[in-house]
Amino acid sequence: MNPVALYNHEPLTSAAKQHQFDPYEMNGGTSLVIKGSDFCVVASDTRQSVGFQINSRYAPKTFKLTDNAVITASGFSADSLALFKKLSQNLEWYKHAHDKVMSTPAIAQMLSNTLYYKRFFPYYSFCLVGGIDEQGRGVAYSYDPMGSYGPEPYKSVGSASTLIQPFLDNQARVGHQNQQIVQQSEISLESAISITKDAFTSASERDIYTGDFLEIFVIKQGGVTVERVDLRKD
Amino acid sequence: MSITQYNGGTILAMAGKNCVVIGSDKRLGVQNLTVSTEFQKIFPVTEKCYIGLPGLASDVQTLSELFRLKVNMYKLREEREIEPLTLANMISSTLYGRRFGPYFCEPIVAGLDKNNKPHIYGMDLIGCLNFPDDFTVAGCAEEALFGMCESLWEPDLEPDDLFETASQALLSAADRNSMVGWGAVIHTITPDRVITRTLKTRMVIYYISYI
Repeated sequence: MNPVALYNHEPLTSAAKQHQFDPYEMNGGTSLVIKGSDFCVVASDTRQSVGFQINSRYAPKTFKLTDNAVITASGFSADSLALFKKLSQNLEWYKHAHDKVMSTPAIAQMLSNTLYYKRFFPYYSFCLVGGIDEQGRGVAYSYDPMGSYGPEPYKSVGSASTLIQPFLDNQARVGHQNQQIVQQSEISLESAISITKDAFTSASERDIYTGDFLEIFVIKQGGVTVERVDLRKD
Repeated sequence: MSITQYNGGTILAMAGKNCVVIGSDKRLGVQNLTVSTEFQKIFPVTEKCYIGLPGLASDVQTLSELFRLKVNMYKLREEREIEPLTLANMISSTLYGRRFGPYFCEPIVAGLDKNNKPHIYGMDLIGCLNFPDDFTVAGCAEEALFGMCESLWEPDLEPDDLFETASQALLSAADRNSMVGWGAVIHTITPDRVITRTLKTRMVIYYISYI
């Protein structure tokens, strides 16, 4: 055998190299929604990462769609932003065609259709929609990347969802089966916000993809308000 | 799926004010199939020290017997009970002795030492020790337990409050994980006694009407 071959890192066989195009990335991040009787809280962190690298400490993934609806998504940021842009355009066309703002349940259905339209090359986005319906009641919906969706009382998606979801079961559910002193009335706005803050500060202790800032959107009859809270930055 | 998740099961331990708790679920499964709902994963070592062994069920039982042997030998040789830190190091070296063909188990040690100071230790399957002063978790519902413990735990809890905190953490984590559940056991270790309580987790299908 040629001794030079020992120093040659190329394989000695000439097997065909396989290259393939992978247009998806996982940018991490966590989103959450909690529904109340006449409000909805939608929140997400603002960190955007790839692997061990942080791309941005402030890359928001929650956006106001109308005065009554907010969307948030974690997964692949580029896909999420493209999806939000498409939804905004559709809402603008709807407004000019019908001379009214689309209702939140209609937005929820439209998002499902938009996702399912790309069933075989999906937007890699785990979406949540929160807001109030035409009667002023709080509504929340969760989605998988292909558009399967349903109403939720509360829901967390993204990199820390496995940490946050059991916490929401424990703190945000009305009439929880594990507790003797159960909350029988619907959750208040104050406790929804405080549960949200606790959930994210705890999640950012253990999940490296969740941190930097927390943006809390509150949707009520009067419109949408935003609060920004600090999270761990390491 | 990892071999450590083959049989399901999860364990947590929490430290309080002169007390510790250690708890586990009761399920034994073979992937999705539940085989037993009375499977022991936590084993008493001394009157104030317990070990939790989550992981591959055959290794759980092998190790529990091995540690029983080693602790009895220690007691005969030293004529005293083993301390939690000593026990943790003994488990750690036993696991590292199988560095290249490990037992698929991530033990947790919880107990009080001779001065009634709380000790909790966690380690990976080759014995890398962890010395937390708050809580430690392992097994199939590890992530859910981290989320629960990180938000519910607070320093210097009394035995009853520590038990309630650990129970809520374990129940809510177990109810979100299909490999974990079918009841739970929690041992509350205090200077004068150990209180063992069994809990119900979600075991029946019930209709959800909260949407």
